[in-house]
Amino acid sequence: MATPEATVVARERRATPRPLAVAAHYVFQLDLVLLAVVAGLVAYGLWLISSVTADDIPGDPSFFLSRQALAAGLGFVALVALAAINPEHLRRVRTPLYIGTLLLVVVVLFSEPVRESRRWIDLGFFNFQPSEFAKLALAVVVASIIASRASEDMGWARVGLVLGVAAPVALLVFVEPDFGTALAMAVVVAAALFFGGAPWRAIGSLALLAAGVALAVLWLLPANGVTVLKPYQEARLVGFLDPASDPSGSTYNVNQSITAVGAGGLTGRGSEEASQTTGFYLPEHATDFVFSSLAEQRGFLGAGLLLVLYGLLIWRGARIVGMAPSLFQMVLAGSIVAVLLFQIVVNVGMTMGIAPVVGIPLPFMSYGGSSMLASLAMVGVLLGIHAQGRLARQPGARRA
Amino acid sequence: MTRKLGLRVAIFGGLAIVLFAVLLFRLWALQVVSGDEYLAAAQENQVRTARVDGPRGTIVDVRGVAIVENIPGTIVQLWPAEVPPERLDGVVRRLSRLLDVSERRINLQIARVKDDPLTPIIVKRFVKPPKPDYILENQDDFPGVRVESTEIRAYPQRRLGAHVVGYVGEISEEELEDRDPDEYGLGDRIGKTGIEHGYDRFLRGEPGLEEVRFNALGQLVRDRTQRVAATQGNRIKLTLDSELQAATELALQEGIVRVRENNDEAWAAAGGAVVALDPRNGAIRAIASYPDFDPSIWSGTREANKIARLGRPVENTPGLNRAVSGLYPPGSVFKPVTALAAMSELNATATTAILEIDELVPCPSQMKIADRIFRNWQQRDVALTLPVALAESCDTFFYDLGLRFYHLPEDRGSPLQFWARRMGFGALTGVDIGPESDGLLPTPEWRRQHYRTAVDRLWKPGNSVTLAIGQDDLLVTPLQMTRFYALLANKGKLVQPHLVAQVEQTGSDKDDPIVLRRFTPAPPQEIGLDANHIRVVHEGLLEATHAEYGTSSSTFGHYPIAIAGKTGTAEKYQRMPKGYLKSELVVEGLFDQAWWCGYGPAEPTDEAELAVCVLVENGGLGGEAAAPIALEVFEAHFGVELPDRDVEVGNTAGRTE
Repeated sequence: MATPEATVVARERRATPRPLAVAAHYVFQLDLVLLAVVAGLVAYGLWLISSVTADDIPGDPSFFLSRQALAAGLGFVALVALAAINPEHLRRVRTPLYIGTLLLVVVVLFSEPVRESRRWIDLGFFNFQPSEFAKLALAVVVASIIASRASEDMGWARVGLVLGVAAPVALLVFVEPDFGTALAMAVVVAAALFFGGAPWRAIGSLALLAAGVALAVLWLLPANGVTVLKPYQEARLVGFLDPASDPSGSTYNVNQSITAVGAGGLTGRGSEEASQTTGFYLPEHATDFVFSSLAEQRGFLGAGLLLVLYGLLIWRGARIVGMAPSLFQMVLAGSIVAVLLFQIVVNVGMTMGIAPVVGIPLPFMSYGGSSMLASLAMVGVLLGIHAQGRLARQPGARRA
Repeated sequence: MTRKLGLRVAIFGGLAIVLFAVLLFRLWALQVVSGDEYLAAAQENQVRTARVDGPRGTIVDVRGVAIVENIPGTIVQLWPAEVPPERLDGVVRRLSRLLDVSERRINLQIARVKDDPLTPIIVKRFVKPPKPDYILENQDDFPGVRVESTEIRAYPQRRLGAHVVGYVGEISEEELEDRDPDEYGLGDRIGKTGIEHGYDRFLRGEPGLEEVRFNALGQLVRDRTQRVAATQGNRIKLTLDSELQAATELALQEGIVRVRENNDEAWAAAGGAVVALDPRNGAIRAIASYPDFDPSIWSGTREANKIARLGRPVENTPGLNRAVSGLYPPGSVFKPVTALAAMSELNATATTAILEIDELVPCPSQMKIADRIFRNWQQRDVALTLPVALAESCDTFFYDLGLRFYHLPEDRGSPLQFWARRMGFGALTGVDIGPESDGLLPTPEWRRQHYRTAVDRLWKPGNSVTLAIGQDDLLVTPLQMTRFYALLANKGKLVQPHLVAQVEQTGSDKDDPIVLRRFTPAPPQEIGLDANHIRVVHEGLLEATHAEYGTSSSTFGHYPIAIAGKTGTAEKYQRMPKGYLKSELVVEGLFDQAWWCGYGPAEPTDEAELAVCVLVENGGLGGEAAAPIALEVFEAHFGVELPDRDVEVGNTAGRTE
């Protein structure tokens, strides 16, 4: 469904390629609505970070804001770069990408622990968190494995291959420990299988298996003296089912977060009066619980606006899954959209006490450079897929 | 895209819509539906309420003269949570130097409130100008340091009644456990001893409430605001007469100094006690214990070394209230008890007493009882009636009575102890200040339980004989003894000794106060003594102070108001530690405890107004050491001095002849 102008440009390209015109034409193939939504999210996020962290470092009110803004700037560079290339090319680098990712998540295990977790590699100017990027890399690798099959239907063997390739990365992230990102990777793989056409029976079996593992980890094994999760992880997972169980201990954070969200009311308390945030009752008020800060300061209107923006993001993402020009790009887009949805739902749900507490950042909002960069890179890939989908439908386009 | 995969995208889209709907619904429920509750919770999160003690009520004497009052003071507090950690050491050092409090002490207090940022520590409670101004002017050097005004206990009459009023201190955790949590909280200041302790609930004011806003790190967000104002506690009016109390304390101290001037042994006259009470109702008019102390060591910043001194035996335990908790053998002041018991009916079936009112009983120089020689203090052999025996304090007369008690058939029990108990010995008097001792009234039963060997466990004639003159294992407090003499003075009724007259509203006129509660003690109790028997004993005590053979006639014989009373010189085994009152050796042995007990006015037509007991520890003869002190108490009470005392001290200036 090309516009008349686009057709003209396409003809001209075939005749005499002019770089500027080509670029302009390409830009209009991108999902500009998605781009606008993401730009809005990033701006909203920076504004939130600036008000939430103004008093965190005495004498330097913009300490966190400037770092987050820098990450956002770098993220947009990555977004532009990934949007500009044909995602199909990513298939070619899957092997080095996989090996590189594996290496990074191994290397990070030898880093200095921060709060008993080894998640960050100190690059001097920037603490780099490989697991955030590993999510995207894993999505590329898994999608290319799924797409390289010969037949229309995906067999059990390929499901096994996908799981076998993904498992080492997710396990290494799990032992950092970074339970949240490991779960996000599981979502990436599950989404890839789902959108890649894995048989329903395989999906059903895997769902049963996951439920069995959860049961074993939380109940069977601890009952027999084997601990898989650290006690704090288990307490947080179960805590949301009974928030009153230990109000000063493991559920303290959640209770304070629920209080913060509720206290925001319809219109919010404003950044000065938001005592849960300014009084440090809210833990991690700029990172994992940044949504609670927003909800307390800006109320239902402010937090609802964010959910609307996220809704738009997922809607545009799902639309891109549907218009992807190839199986590879469809699976890749599906994984990306699914992991974004997962992070949004689990993080926001956690702050309101309807999802377990797992350390998952809220895309575009939580303070953290790696998360911001990786999220924007994912959007870049989505934009590229959108452009390829549009181009593929234009007359004379080669089928990818 | 195949249709099959299109279905999957649709499923995904549906899932996404459901999830977003759940999030939005939850957000709506939290913020819009229950927003007010959570807003209240968030505000509650920050607010802590702190109790503020109300000013304590004052303690006044029977005429409304203040004994304990409050004066405004300045306290310096440190709120540790407000001090940046790296500056804490410097602040503590500066405070230590400025306020003369050791750094160690401040740091210990800080460590104690580490988990409780709400509670400031009190660095010093009574800071004199210009130090508070210095802190305020240099507030930058003292982060987290606050200067607050407070009220502290003050003692306008200095040491007067120090043992009685007691002191105030911070509530301990054990004390907190025993009390109503609605009324008492951590950090409260409560009465620890004496009147301050016994009447704490009247003296302490209603605590006020203050609100403080804190963040989760325990830092103060907003300054304190008052929610409920504290109210001052009530005024306690004592039965004590502070003029008589002052005279009594002075008489005791001077009397002790007199004994020590005549005897430079380290053991002599180290301590003493005087009780003066109204025999008509048991109201204590004066109660003194020596050595005493300055109660202000507890107010303001507590002076720990001076407080520790109060309980130290080598310092002669100045903190001990000898009048209510000191235990002494009474010696001859107990003889009226023996006499009354001997004259009283033994029980309903045996109506004959062991002593007839006008019976002549031998008073030999010595008696041989169960192969032991018991001597009288005088060398002669006569027979005496009871009044004379009391007046000259013949020991052998009472040995004889003791032996009669011993030889009573077993079914008659122990009438001496029975009557002594009725007269209040061996039991607490229930006076409203403590801790009180109950003393020891030995009985054959007690001996059986208390001793181990068969010989010791047996009640022997010697026990009965020495008990009759107030020795054996008998121990009494000066207050118990005074209560007994009050019984002789009021012709047979046991009074309830008490110190508090009433609770008055603070601020009400002292001459016409608003009385919130009047303490009417239990009325004097008849204990079944025959009035004639008391009259005979009374005659003896009057002869003791007036007849030429009376043991304290030299002191009271010429006093214009008739005083009846008895001397006592009781042996007590004492072992005093090395270094006791600067003595170089351990002092131990039998020392004479000097007693005088009596009452006046004592003419048969009079109603006695005052019963007095004086005890001087290791003071020698009662007539010499104790009686003159008692005389001074009577002089102060009646406002009548011994007429020819001036001659004694060589002052003839006022004499006309």
